[in-house]
Amino acid sequence: MISPARRDRRRFLVLMLAPATVLLLGLTLVPFLVSLAFSFSNLSLVTPDDFAYIWFDNFDRLFRSPEFWNAMRVTVIFTIAAVAVELVLGVGIAALLHYETRAVPALRLIYLLPLAITPVAAVFTFRIMLNPSLGVLNYLVKQVGLPPQDWLGTPGMALMTLVAVDAWQWTPFILLIAAGGLAAMDDEPQEAAQMDGAGPIAIFFHHTLPMLYPYLAVAVVFRSIDAFKTFDIIFVLTGGGPGIATRTLNLLAYKQGLEFLEMGYAAAIAIVMLVATIIFSQAFLRRINMFRPKAAL
Amino acid sequence: MSNAEQGGLKPPSRSTRIGRMLQPWIRRLALWLFALWCLFPIYWLLTMSLKRQVDAISRKPKFIFQPIWDNYLNVLASGEVWLFFQNSLIVALGTTALSLLLGVPTAYVLARYRFAGNADFGFWILTTRMTPPVAMLIPFFVVYIRSGLFDSHLGLILAHTAITLSIVVWLMKGFFEDLPLELEEAALMDGATHFQAFRQICLPVALPGIAAVAILTFLFSWNEFLFSLVLADRIQTVPVGLYNFVGYQQIRWGELTASAVIMLLPVLLFVFIFQRQLVRGLTLGAIK
Repeated sequence: MISPARRDRRRFLVLMLAPATVLLLGLTLVPFLVSLAFSFSNLSLVTPDDFAYIWFDNFDRLFRSPEFWNAMRVTVIFTIAAVAVELVLGVGIAALLHYETRAVPALRLIYLLPLAITPVAAVFTFRIMLNPSLGVLNYLVKQVGLPPQDWLGTPGMALMTLVAVDAWQWTPFILLIAAGGLAAMDDEPQEAAQMDGAGPIAIFFHHTLPMLYPYLAVAVVFRSIDAFKTFDIIFVLTGGGPGIATRTLNLLAYKQGLEFLEMGYAAAIAIVMLVATIIFSQAFLRRINMFRPKAAL
Repeated sequence: MSNAEQGGLKPPSRSTRIGRMLQPWIRRLALWLFALWCLFPIYWLLTMSLKRQVDAISRKPKFIFQPIWDNYLNVLASGEVWLFFQNSLIVALGTTALSLLLGVPTAYVLARYRFAGNADFGFWILTTRMTPPVAMLIPFFVVYIRSGLFDSHLGLILAHTAITLSIVVWLMKGFFEDLPLELEEAALMDGATHFQAFRQICLPVALPGIAAVAILTFLFSWNEFLFSLVLADRIQTVPVGLYNFVGYQQIRWGELTASAVIMLLPVLLFVFIFQRQLVRGLTLGAIK
Protein backbone atom coordinates (compact mmCIF):
# COMPACT_ATOMS: atom_id res chain seq x y z
CA MET A 1 0.00 0.00 0.00
CA ILE A 2 1.18 3.50 -0.80
CA SER A 3 0.38 6.08 1.84
CA PRO A 4 -1.88 8.98 0.76
CA ALA A 5 0.95 11.45 1.35
CA ARG A 6 3.21 9.55 -1.00
CA ARG A 7 0.44 9.27 -3.53
CA ASP A 8 -0.10 13.04 -3.38
CA ARG A 9 3.59 13.62 -3.82
CA ARG A 10 3.76 11.34 -6.81
CA ARG A 11 0.71 12.91 -8.39
CA PHE A 12 2.24 16.35 -7.87
CA LEU A 13 5.51 15.33 -9.51
CA VAL A 14 3.74 13.86 -12.49
CA LEU A 15 1.54 16.92 -12.97
CA MET A 16 4.49 19.28 -12.74
CA LEU A 17 6.70 17.34 -15.11
CA ALA A 18 4.11 16.19 -17.61
CA PRO A 19 3.53 19.33 -19.72
CA ALA A 20 7.17 20.02 -20.48
CA THR A 21 7.88 16.34 -20.96
CA VAL A 22 5.05 15.95 -23.42
CA LEU A 23 6.14 18.99 -25.36
CA LEU A 24 9.79 17.97 -25.41
CA LEU A 25 8.87 14.45 -26.44
CA GLY A 26 6.69 15.79 -29.21
CA LEU A 27 8.99 18.55 -30.39
CA THR A 28 12.45 17.12 -29.89
CA LEU A 29 12.40 13.39 -29.24
CA VAL A 30 9.87 12.53 -31.93
CA PRO A 31 11.62 14.70 -34.53
CA PHE A 32 14.85 13.08 -33.48
CA LEU A 33 13.42 9.59 -33.93
CA VAL A 34 11.94 10.65 -37.26
CA SER A 35 15.38 11.94 -38.24
CA LEU A 36 16.86 8.66 -37.16
CA ALA A 37 14.36 6.81 -39.32
CA PHE A 38 15.07 9.16 -42.24
CA SER A 39 18.77 8.53 -41.84
CA PHE A 40 18.12 4.87 -42.71
CA SER A 41 16.09 5.83 -45.77
CA ASN A 42 16.66 7.41 -49.12
CA LEU A 43 14.03 10.09 -48.52
CA SER A 44 14.44 12.89 -50.99
CA LEU A 45 11.87 15.57 -51.64
CA VAL A 46 12.98 15.61 -55.27
CA THR A 47 11.81 12.02 -55.75
CA PRO A 48 9.48 11.41 -52.79
CA ASP A 49 7.81 8.40 -54.43
CA ASP A 50 10.96 6.27 -54.51
CA PHE A 51 11.03 6.12 -50.71
CA ALA A 52 12.76 3.03 -49.34
CA TYR A 53 14.76 1.99 -46.34
CA ILE A 54 18.37 1.58 -47.34
CA TRP A 55 19.65 1.06 -43.78
CA PHE A 56 23.28 1.91 -43.38
CA ASP A 57 23.88 2.99 -46.95
CA ASN A 58 23.72 6.68 -46.00
CA PHE A 59 26.29 6.21 -43.28
CA ASP A 60 28.43 4.11 -45.57
CA ARG A 61 28.30 6.80 -48.24
CA LEU A 62 28.97 9.43 -45.59
CA PHE A 63 32.02 7.79 -44.08
CA ARG A 64 33.48 7.20 -47.53
CA SER A 65 32.90 10.74 -48.74
CA PRO A 66 35.85 13.13 -48.58
CA GLU A 67 33.28 15.93 -48.23
CA PHE A 68 32.19 14.56 -44.88
CA TRP A 69 35.71 14.19 -43.51
CA ASN A 70 36.55 17.65 -44.73
CA ALA A 71 33.48 19.02 -42.96
CA MET A 72 34.41 17.10 -39.82
CA ARG A 73 37.92 18.53 -39.93
CA VAL A 74 36.67 22.08 -40.49
CA THR A 75 34.13 21.73 -37.67
CA VAL A 76 36.66 20.40 -35.19
CA ILE A 77 39.25 23.03 -36.06
CA PHE A 78 36.67 25.78 -35.87
CA THR A 79 35.32 24.56 -32.53
CA ILE A 80 38.70 24.08 -30.86
CA ALA A 81 40.19 27.30 -32.21
CA ALA A 82 37.15 29.40 -31.33
CA VAL A 83 36.72 28.00 -27.82
CA ALA A 84 40.47 28.27 -27.12
CA VAL A 85 40.64 31.90 -28.20
CA GLU A 86 37.50 32.75 -26.26
CA LEU A 87 38.74 30.97 -23.15
CA VAL A 88 42.14 32.65 -23.05
CA LEU A 89 40.81 36.09 -23.93
CA GLY A 90 37.74 35.80 -21.72
CA VAL A 91 39.59 34.66 -18.61
CA GLY A 92 42.36 37.19 -19.18
CA ILE A 93 39.97 40.14 -19.50
CA ALA A 94 37.88 38.88 -16.57
CA ALA A 95 40.99 38.76 -14.38
CA LEU A 96 41.90 42.31 -15.37
CA LEU A 97 38.33 43.48 -14.85
CA HIS A 98 38.34 41.96 -11.36
CA TYR A 99 41.01 44.44 -10.22
CA GLU A 100 39.68 47.40 -12.18
CA THR A 101 38.21 50.23 -10.15
CA ARG A 102 37.04 52.77 -12.70
CA ALA A 103 34.01 52.61 -14.98
CA VAL A 104 33.40 48.91 -14.36
CA PRO A 105 29.62 49.10 -14.98
CA ALA A 106 30.21 50.83 -18.31
CA LEU A 107 32.75 48.22 -19.36
CA ARG A 108 30.41 45.42 -18.37
CA LEU A 109 27.60 46.94 -20.38
CA ILE A 110 29.84 47.22 -23.43
CA TYR A 111 31.01 43.63 -23.06
CA LEU A 112 27.41 42.48 -22.94
CA LEU A 113 26.58 43.90 -26.37
CA PRO A 114 28.12 41.27 -28.68
CA LEU A 115 26.25 38.55 -26.77
CA ALA A 116 22.86 40.18 -26.88
CA ILE A 117 22.86 41.70 -30.32
CA THR A 118 21.01 39.92 -33.13
CA PRO A 119 23.75 37.74 -34.64
CA VAL A 120 22.58 38.18 -38.20
CA ALA A 121 22.82 41.97 -37.88
CA ALA A 122 26.28 41.81 -36.33
CA VAL A 123 27.58 39.32 -38.85
CA PHE A 124 26.15 41.39 -41.67
CA THR A 125 28.14 44.36 -40.38
CA PHE A 126 31.26 42.23 -40.36
CA ARG A 127 30.59 41.36 -43.96
CA ILE A 128 30.65 45.03 -44.87
CA MET A 129 33.76 45.70 -42.81
CA LEU A 130 35.59 42.71 -44.28
CA ASN A 131 34.86 43.60 -47.91
CA PRO A 132 38.28 43.37 -49.59
CA SER A 133 38.08 46.58 -51.62
CA LEU A 134 35.63 48.79 -49.72
CA GLY A 135 35.84 47.47 -46.18
CA VAL A 136 37.19 49.51 -43.32
CA LEU A 137 39.38 46.67 -42.08
CA ASN A 138 41.61 46.59 -45.15
CA TYR A 139 41.79 50.37 -45.02
CA LEU A 140 43.09 50.20 -41.45
CA VAL A 141 45.47 47.36 -42.34
CA LYS A 142 46.92 49.46 -45.16
CA GLN A 143 47.32 52.43 -42.85
CA VAL A 144 49.53 50.31 -40.60
CA GLY A 145 51.58 49.37 -43.66
CA LEU A 146 50.46 45.76 -44.05
CA PRO A 147 49.16 44.25 -47.29
CA PRO A 148 45.35 44.13 -47.60
CA GLN A 149 43.79 40.68 -47.25
CA ASP A 150 40.91 38.88 -48.87
CA TRP A 151 39.49 38.00 -45.47
CA LEU A 152 36.74 35.67 -46.59
CA GLY A 153 38.03 34.73 -50.02
CA THR A 154 41.10 32.60 -49.25
CA PRO A 155 40.57 29.19 -47.61
CA GLY A 156 42.88 29.39 -44.57
CA MET A 157 42.14 33.04 -43.94
CA ALA A 158 38.37 32.54 -44.20
CA LEU A 159 38.35 29.99 -41.40
CA MET A 160 40.50 32.24 -39.22
CA THR A 161 38.19 35.17 -39.90
CA LEU A 162 35.18 33.07 -38.88
CA VAL A 163 36.96 32.12 -35.66
CA ALA A 164 37.65 35.80 -35.00
CA VAL A 165 34.01 36.75 -35.57
CA ASP A 166 32.85 33.91 -33.32
CA ALA A 167 35.35 35.12 -30.73
CA TRP A 168 33.92 38.62 -31.08
CA GLN A 169 30.45 37.35 -30.32
CA TRP A 170 31.21 34.77 -27.62
CA THR A 171 34.31 35.85 -25.67
CA PRO A 172 32.04 37.94 -23.44
CA PHE A 173 30.16 34.76 -22.49
CA ILE A 174 33.28 33.18 -20.98
CA LEU A 175 34.33 36.58 -19.65
CA LEU A 176 31.08 37.06 -17.74
CA ILE A 177 31.15 33.54 -16.29
CA ALA A 178 34.78 33.91 -15.24
CA ALA A 179 34.00 37.32 -13.75
CA GLY A 180 31.17 35.74 -11.78
CA GLY A 181 33.51 33.06 -10.50
CA LEU A 182 36.08 35.63 -9.49
CA ALA A 183 33.49 37.73 -7.68
CA ALA A 184 32.29 34.70 -5.72
CA MET A 185 35.84 33.78 -4.80
CA ASP A 186 37.60 34.20 -1.51
CA ASP A 187 40.64 36.48 -2.02
CA GLU A 188 42.60 35.35 1.03
CA PRO A 189 44.89 32.71 -0.50
CA GLN A 190 45.99 35.21 -3.14
CA GLU A 191 46.71 37.85 -0.54
CA ALA A 192 48.71 35.38 1.51
CA ALA A 193 50.71 34.42 -1.58
CA GLN A 194 51.31 38.07 -2.33
CA MET A 195 52.63 38.56 1.21
CA ASP A 196 55.07 35.76 0.49
CA GLY A 197 56.35 37.73 -2.47
CA ALA A 198 54.66 35.86 -5.31
CA GLY A 199 54.28 37.91 -8.50
CA PRO A 200 50.85 38.63 -9.98
CA ILE A 201 51.35 36.17 -12.81
CA ALA A 202 52.39 33.35 -10.48
CA ILE A 203 49.42 34.10 -8.23
CA PHE A 204 47.08 34.00 -11.19
CA PHE A 205 48.28 30.61 -12.41
CA HIS A 206 48.73 28.92 -9.03
CA HIS A 207 45.81 30.26 -7.05
CA THR A 208 43.22 32.08 -9.12
CA LEU A 209 42.96 29.81 -12.12
CA PRO A 210 42.49 26.50 -10.24
CA MET A 211 39.66 28.02 -8.25
CA LEU A 212 37.95 29.07 -11.47
CA TYR A 213 37.99 25.58 -12.99
CA PRO A 214 34.43 24.57 -12.05
CA TYR A 215 33.01 27.74 -13.64
CA LEU A 216 35.17 27.40 -16.71
CA ALA A 217 34.29 23.75 -17.18
CA VAL A 218 30.60 24.61 -17.50
CA ALA A 219 31.39 27.53 -19.79
CA VAL A 220 33.62 25.44 -22.03
CA VAL A 221 31.11 22.59 -22.34
CA PHE A 222 28.25 24.89 -23.31
CA ARG A 223 30.42 26.93 -25.64
CA SER A 224 31.80 23.82 -27.34
CA ILE A 225 28.33 22.39 -27.88
CA ASP A 226 27.22 25.64 -29.48
CA ALA A 227 30.40 26.25 -31.49
CA PHE A 228 30.11 22.73 -32.90
CA LYS A 229 26.77 23.63 -34.46
CA THR A 230 27.42 27.27 -35.33
CA PHE A 231 25.21 28.37 -38.18
CA ASP A 232 24.49 32.11 -38.46
CA ILE A 233 28.06 33.31 -38.66
CA ILE A 234 29.24 30.85 -41.27
CA PHE A 235 26.05 30.92 -43.31
CA VAL A 236 25.99 34.70 -43.63
CA LEU A 237 29.74 35.33 -43.98
CA THR A 238 31.00 32.57 -46.25
CA GLY A 239 28.11 30.17 -46.85
CA GLY A 240 30.73 27.45 -46.42
CA GLY A 241 33.10 28.82 -49.04
CA PRO A 242 35.43 29.57 -50.64
CA GLY A 243 34.84 26.16 -52.17
CA ILE A 244 34.31 23.94 -49.17
CA ALA A 245 36.97 25.55 -46.98
CA THR A 246 34.56 26.58 -44.23
CA ARG A 247 31.78 24.07 -44.77
CA THR A 248 31.13 22.63 -41.33
CA LEU A 249 29.02 19.54 -40.64
CA ASN A 250 26.06 21.74 -39.86
CA LEU A 251 26.34 23.57 -43.16
CA LEU A 252 26.88 20.34 -45.03
CA ALA A 253 23.72 18.91 -43.46
CA TYR A 254 21.81 22.10 -44.25
CA LYS A 255 22.95 22.04 -47.86
CA GLN A 256 22.17 18.36 -48.37
CA GLY A 257 18.84 18.54 -46.60
CA LEU A 258 17.31 21.90 -47.34
CA GLU A 259 18.95 22.86 -50.60
CA PHE A 260 19.39 19.50 -52.35
CA LEU A 261 16.40 18.11 -50.39
CA GLU A 262 18.22 14.83 -49.76
CA MET A 263 16.63 14.46 -46.34
CA GLY A 264 17.85 10.94 -45.64
CA TYR A 265 21.49 11.71 -46.22
CA ALA A 266 21.26 15.01 -44.31
CA ALA A 267 19.61 13.23 -41.38
CA ALA A 268 22.52 10.79 -41.26
CA ILE A 269 24.93 13.74 -40.93
CA ALA A 270 22.84 15.22 -38.13
CA ILE A 271 22.76 11.89 -36.28
CA VAL A 272 26.54 11.60 -36.45
CA MET A 273 26.81 15.14 -35.06
CA LEU A 274 24.45 14.41 -32.23
CA VAL A 275 26.24 11.23 -31.21
CA ALA A 276 29.57 13.05 -31.19
CA THR A 277 28.11 15.88 -29.07
CA ILE A 278 26.50 13.55 -26.55
CA ILE A 279 29.64 11.49 -26.06
CA PHE A 280 31.69 14.63 -25.56
CA SER A 281 29.30 16.36 -23.17
CA GLN A 282 28.44 13.23 -21.16
CA ALA A 283 32.11 12.74 -20.43
CA PHE A 284 32.45 16.33 -19.27
CA LEU A 285 29.19 17.00 -17.50
CA ARG A 286 29.15 13.79 -15.47
CA ARG A 287 32.56 14.71 -14.20
CA ILE A 288 31.61 18.16 -13.00
CA ASN A 289 28.56 16.64 -11.37
CA MET A 290 25.87 19.24 -11.94
CA PHE A 291 22.96 16.84 -11.89
CA ARG A 292 22.17 16.01 -8.28
CA PRO A 293 19.68 18.28 -6.56
CA LYS A 294 21.51 20.13 -3.81
CA ALA A 295 18.71 20.03 -1.25
CA ALA A 296 15.49 18.12 -1.47
CA LEU A 297 11.92 18.13 -0.21
CA MET B 1 48.22 45.80 -2.07
CA SER B 2 48.16 44.54 1.50
CA ASN B 3 51.89 44.38 2.21
CA ALA B 4 52.44 47.89 0.96
CA GLU B 5 49.84 49.13 3.39
CA GLN B 6 51.32 47.22 6.27
CA GLY B 7 54.79 48.56 5.55
CA GLY B 8 55.86 45.20 4.15
CA LEU B 9 57.47 42.41 6.12
CA LYS B 10 59.76 41.59 3.18
CA PRO B 11 60.85 43.85 0.36
CA PRO B 12 58.51 43.04 -2.55
CA SER B 13 60.12 40.99 -5.28
CA ARG B 14 61.18 42.63 -8.53
CA SER B 15 58.32 41.17 -10.51
CA THR B 16 55.77 42.41 -8.01
CA ARG B 17 57.21 45.88 -8.15
CA ILE B 18 57.18 45.92 -11.93
CA GLY B 19 53.70 44.47 -11.87
CA ARG B 20 52.53 47.20 -9.59
CA MET B 21 54.13 49.96 -11.60
CA LEU B 22 52.70 48.83 -14.90
CA GLN B 23 49.47 47.29 -13.80
CA PRO B 24 46.92 50.08 -13.57
CA TRP B 25 47.42 51.71 -16.94
CA ILE B 26 48.20 48.52 -18.83
CA ARG B 27 45.15 46.91 -17.33
CA ARG B 28 42.99 49.86 -18.18
CA LEU B 29 44.36 50.01 -21.71
CA ALA B 30 43.68 46.30 -22.24
CA LEU B 31 40.15 46.59 -20.88
CA TRP B 32 39.29 49.55 -23.06
CA LEU B 33 40.90 48.04 -26.15
CA PHE B 34 38.67 45.03 -25.64
CA ALA B 35 35.69 47.34 -25.20
CA LEU B 36 36.63 49.07 -28.46
CA TRP B 37 36.79 45.68 -30.20
CA CYS B 38 33.30 44.87 -28.88
CA LEU B 39 31.88 48.23 -29.90
CA PHE B 40 33.53 48.86 -33.25
CA PRO B 41 31.21 46.80 -35.48
CA ILE B 42 28.17 48.37 -33.86
CA TYR B 43 29.67 51.83 -34.23
CA TRP B 44 30.53 51.15 -37.86
CA LEU B 45 27.01 49.97 -38.61
CA LEU B 46 25.69 53.18 -37.14
CA THR B 47 27.97 55.42 -39.21
CA MET B 48 27.19 53.52 -42.42
CA SER B 49 23.50 54.12 -41.87
CA LEU B 50 24.09 57.87 -41.64
CA LYS B 51 26.18 58.13 -44.79
CA ARG B 52 25.33 59.08 -48.34
CA GLN B 53 25.94 56.36 -50.90
CA VAL B 54 29.08 58.14 -52.17
CA ASP B 55 30.50 58.34 -48.67
CA ALA B 56 29.59 54.76 -47.89
CA ILE B 57 31.40 53.28 -50.85
CA SER B 58 34.37 55.64 -51.00
CA ARG B 59 37.56 53.63 -51.15
CA LYS B 60 38.96 55.62 -48.29
CA PRO B 61 36.39 54.97 -45.55
CA LYS B 62 35.21 58.29 -44.19
CA PHE B 63 35.36 58.72 -40.47
CA ILE B 64 34.17 62.32 -40.72
CA PHE B 65 31.17 63.02 -42.92
CA GLN B 66 27.93 64.94 -43.10
CA PRO B 67 25.31 62.68 -41.44
CA ILE B 68 21.98 62.29 -43.21
CA TRP B 69 18.68 60.78 -42.14
CA ASP B 70 17.38 59.91 -45.61
CA ASN B 71 18.23 56.22 -45.24
CA TYR B 72 16.04 55.95 -42.17
CA LEU B 73 13.20 57.87 -43.71
CA ASN B 74 13.25 55.65 -46.80
CA VAL B 75 13.27 52.45 -44.78
CA LEU B 76 10.51 53.53 -42.43
CA ALA B 77 8.39 54.75 -45.33
CA SER B 78 8.52 51.36 -47.05
CA GLY B 79 6.82 49.81 -44.03
CA GLU B 80 8.36 46.35 -44.37
CA VAL B 81 10.31 46.80 -41.17
CA TRP B 82 7.09 47.15 -39.20
CA LEU B 83 5.94 43.78 -40.44
CA PHE B 84 9.16 42.13 -39.34
CA PHE B 85 8.80 43.79 -35.96
CA GLN B 86 5.25 42.61 -35.60
CA ASN B 87 6.15 39.01 -36.49
CA SER B 88 9.13 38.92 -34.16
CA LEU B 89 7.10 40.41 -31.35
CA ILE B 90 4.30 37.86 -31.66
CA VAL B 91 6.71 34.94 -31.92
CA ALA B 92 9.01 36.08 -29.10
CA LEU B 93 6.15 36.85 -26.69
CA GLY B 94 4.44 33.56 -27.47
CA THR B 95 7.67 31.63 -27.03
CA THR B 96 8.41 33.32 -23.72
CA ALA B 97 4.97 32.62 -22.31
CA LEU B 98 4.88 28.99 -23.41
CA SER B 99 8.47 28.23 -22.33
CA LEU B 100 7.90 29.63 -18.85
CA LEU B 101 4.54 27.96 -18.41
CA LEU B 102 6.08 24.58 -19.16
CA GLY B 103 9.62 25.09 -17.94
CA VAL B 104 9.16 26.63 -14.51
CA PRO B 105 7.22 23.71 -12.92
CA THR B 106 9.69 21.21 -14.35
CA ALA B 107 12.64 23.18 -13.04
CA TYR B 108 11.04 23.42 -9.60
CA VAL B 109 10.59 19.68 -9.31
CA LEU B 110 14.09 18.97 -10.59
CA ALA B 111 15.55 21.39 -8.05
CA ARG B 112 13.48 20.40 -5.06
CA TYR B 113 12.54 16.72 -5.27
CA ARG B 114 14.66 13.63 -5.20
CA PHE B 115 13.10 10.92 -7.30
CA ALA B 116 14.36 8.01 -9.33
CA GLY B 117 15.83 9.26 -12.56
CA ASN B 118 16.04 12.92 -11.54
CA ALA B 119 19.59 13.28 -12.85
CA ASP B 120 18.87 11.38 -16.05
CA PHE B 121 15.77 13.46 -16.67
CA GLY B 122 17.85 16.61 -16.23
CA PHE B 123 20.45 15.34 -18.63
CA TRP B 124 17.83 14.34 -21.16
CA ILE B 125 16.44 17.86 -21.12
CA LEU B 126 19.93 19.15 -21.73
CA THR B 127 20.48 16.80 -24.68
CA THR B 128 17.58 18.47 -26.43
CA ARG B 129 19.86 21.49 -26.58
CA MET B 130 22.71 19.46 -28.03
CA THR B 131 20.64 18.17 -30.91
CA PRO B 132 22.04 19.67 -34.09
CA PRO B 133 19.39 22.00 -35.48
CA VAL B 134 19.22 20.16 -38.78
CA ALA B 135 18.24 16.94 -36.99
CA MET B 136 15.13 18.74 -35.76
CA LEU B 137 14.64 20.95 -38.79
CA ILE B 138 14.13 18.19 -41.31
CA PRO B 139 11.22 16.49 -39.48
CA PHE B 140 9.81 19.89 -38.51
CA PHE B 141 9.93 20.96 -42.12
CA VAL B 142 8.25 17.80 -43.39
CA VAL B 143 5.56 17.81 -40.69
CA TYR B 144 4.94 21.56 -40.91
CA ILE B 145 4.42 21.42 -44.67
CA ARG B 146 1.85 18.64 -44.29
CA SER B 147 0.04 19.99 -41.21
CA GLY B 148 -0.30 23.59 -42.22
CA LEU B 149 1.95 24.85 -39.44
CA PHE B 150 4.42 25.99 -42.09
CA ASP B 151 4.62 29.74 -42.34
CA SER B 152 2.50 30.39 -39.24
CA HIS B 153 3.24 32.24 -36.02
CA LEU B 154 2.18 29.23 -33.99
CA GLY B 155 4.61 27.00 -35.87
CA LEU B 156 7.51 29.30 -35.11
CA ILE B 157 6.46 29.62 -31.46
CA LEU B 158 6.43 25.83 -31.05
CA ALA B 159 9.81 25.46 -32.74
CA HIS B 160 11.39 28.22 -30.65
CA THR B 161 9.91 26.75 -27.48
CA ALA B 162 11.44 23.40 -28.33
CA ILE B 163 14.87 25.01 -28.51
CA THR B 164 14.59 27.35 -25.50
CA LEU B 165 12.84 25.05 -23.06
CA SER B 166 16.03 23.31 -21.98
CA ILE B 167 17.68 26.61 -21.11
CA VAL B 168 14.61 27.78 -19.22
CA VAL B 169 14.57 24.58 -17.16
CA TRP B 170 18.27 24.66 -16.37
CA LEU B 171 18.36 28.33 -15.46
CA MET B 172 15.23 28.17 -13.34
CA LYS B 173 16.57 25.07 -11.62
CA GLY B 174 19.60 27.11 -10.60
CA PHE B 175 17.40 29.91 -9.27
CA PHE B 176 15.23 27.54 -7.26
CA GLU B 177 18.27 25.82 -5.77
CA ASP B 178 19.48 29.15 -4.45
CA LEU B 179 16.26 29.79 -2.55
CA PRO B 180 16.03 28.58 1.05
CA LEU B 181 14.10 25.37 1.58
CA GLU B 182 12.75 26.17 5.03
CA LEU B 183 9.64 28.11 4.06
CA GLU B 184 8.33 25.32 1.89
CA GLU B 185 9.20 22.70 4.50
CA ALA B 186 7.29 24.68 7.09
CA ALA B 187 4.31 25.05 4.75
CA LEU B 188 4.26 21.31 4.08
CA MET B 189 4.41 20.64 7.83
CA ASP B 190 1.43 22.93 8.29
CA GLY B 191 -0.55 20.78 5.89
CA ALA B 192 -0.14 22.68 2.66
CA THR B 193 -0.19 20.55 -0.46
CA HIS B 194 2.95 20.31 -2.60
CA PHE B 195 1.27 22.48 -5.18
CA GLN B 196 0.40 25.16 -2.63
CA ALA B 197 3.97 25.19 -1.39
CA PHE B 198 5.13 25.75 -4.95
CA ARG B 199 2.48 28.20 -6.01
CA GLN B 200 2.07 30.29 -2.87
CA ILE B 201 5.42 30.05 -1.11
CA CYS B 202 8.17 29.49 -3.64
CA LEU B 203 6.89 31.15 -6.80
CA PRO B 204 6.54 34.68 -5.40
CA VAL B 205 10.09 34.55 -4.05
CA ALA B 206 11.38 33.27 -7.37
CA LEU B 207 9.87 36.12 -9.38
CA PRO B 208 13.16 37.96 -10.02
CA GLY B 209 14.64 34.76 -11.39
CA ILE B 210 11.61 34.16 -13.55
CA ALA B 211 11.88 37.70 -14.87
CA ALA B 212 15.53 37.14 -15.79
CA VAL B 213 14.73 33.91 -17.61
CA ALA B 214 11.78 35.52 -19.38
CA ILE B 215 13.96 38.33 -20.66
CA LEU B 216 16.55 35.90 -21.91
CA THR B 217 13.99 33.70 -23.62
CA PHE B 218 12.50 36.71 -25.35
CA LEU B 219 15.89 37.84 -26.58
CA PHE B 220 16.77 34.36 -27.74
CA SER B 221 13.61 34.00 -29.75
CA TRP B 222 13.99 37.51 -31.16
CA ASN B 223 17.48 36.70 -32.42
CA GLU B 224 16.83 33.15 -33.65
CA PHE B 225 17.62 32.74 -37.33
CA LEU B 226 17.78 29.20 -38.71
CA PHE B 227 14.34 27.87 -37.73
CA SER B 228 12.67 31.15 -38.58
CA LEU B 229 14.33 31.05 -41.98
CA VAL B 230 13.39 27.50 -42.87
CA LEU B 231 9.96 27.09 -41.27
CA ALA B 232 8.34 30.23 -42.63
CA ASP B 233 8.14 32.05 -45.89
CA ARG B 234 5.94 35.12 -45.84
CA ILE B 235 6.14 35.47 -42.07
CA GLN B 236 9.58 36.95 -41.73
CA THR B 237 11.01 37.72 -38.34
CA VAL B 238 13.57 40.46 -37.87
CA PRO B 239 16.73 38.38 -38.49
CA VAL B 240 15.22 36.71 -41.56
CA GLY B 241 14.03 40.02 -42.95
CA LEU B 242 17.48 41.41 -42.44
CA TYR B 243 19.10 38.44 -44.12
CA ASN B 244 16.83 38.77 -47.12
CA PHE B 245 17.75 42.43 -47.41
CA VAL B 246 21.37 41.38 -47.69
CA GLY B 247 20.48 38.62 -50.11
CA TYR B 248 19.22 41.06 -52.71
CA GLN B 249 22.84 41.95 -53.44
CA GLN B 250 21.91 45.42 -54.58
CA ILE B 251 24.43 47.34 -52.63
CA ARG B 252 22.44 50.17 -51.16
CA TRP B 253 24.54 50.20 -48.04
CA GLY B 254 22.77 53.13 -46.46
CA GLU B 255 19.32 51.61 -46.46
CA LEU B 256 20.59 48.17 -45.53
CA THR B 257 22.47 49.45 -42.52
CA ALA B 258 19.64 51.76 -41.52
CA SER B 259 17.29 48.76 -41.44
CA ALA B 260 19.79 46.84 -39.37
CA VAL B 261 20.04 49.68 -36.88
CA ILE B 262 16.27 50.00 -36.59
CA MET B 263 15.95 46.28 -35.99
CA LEU B 264 18.70 46.40 -33.38
CA LEU B 265 17.14 49.25 -31.42
CA PRO B 266 14.78 47.09 -29.34
CA VAL B 267 17.66 44.77 -28.45
CA LEU B 268 19.90 47.67 -27.43
CA LEU B 269 17.10 49.13 -25.34
CA PHE B 270 16.63 45.72 -23.77
CA VAL B 271 20.29 45.46 -22.87
CA PHE B 272 20.29 48.88 -21.23
CA ILE B 273 17.20 48.24 -19.15
CA PHE B 274 17.77 44.63 -18.18
CA GLN B 275 21.54 44.29 -18.08
CA ARG B 276 21.63 42.68 -14.66
CA GLN B 277 19.06 40.02 -15.55
CA LEU B 278 20.74 39.41 -18.89
CA VAL B 279 24.12 38.83 -17.31
CA ARG B 280 22.58 36.25 -15.01
CA GLY B 281 20.70 34.57 -17.78
CA LEU B 282 23.40 34.61 -20.42
CA THR B 283 25.93 33.14 -18.02
CA LEU B 284 23.49 30.35 -17.11
CA GLY B 285 23.09 31.61 -13.58
CA ALA B 286 26.81 31.57 -12.77
CA ILE B 287 26.61 35.26 -11.85
CA LYS B 288 24.19 36.17 -9.10
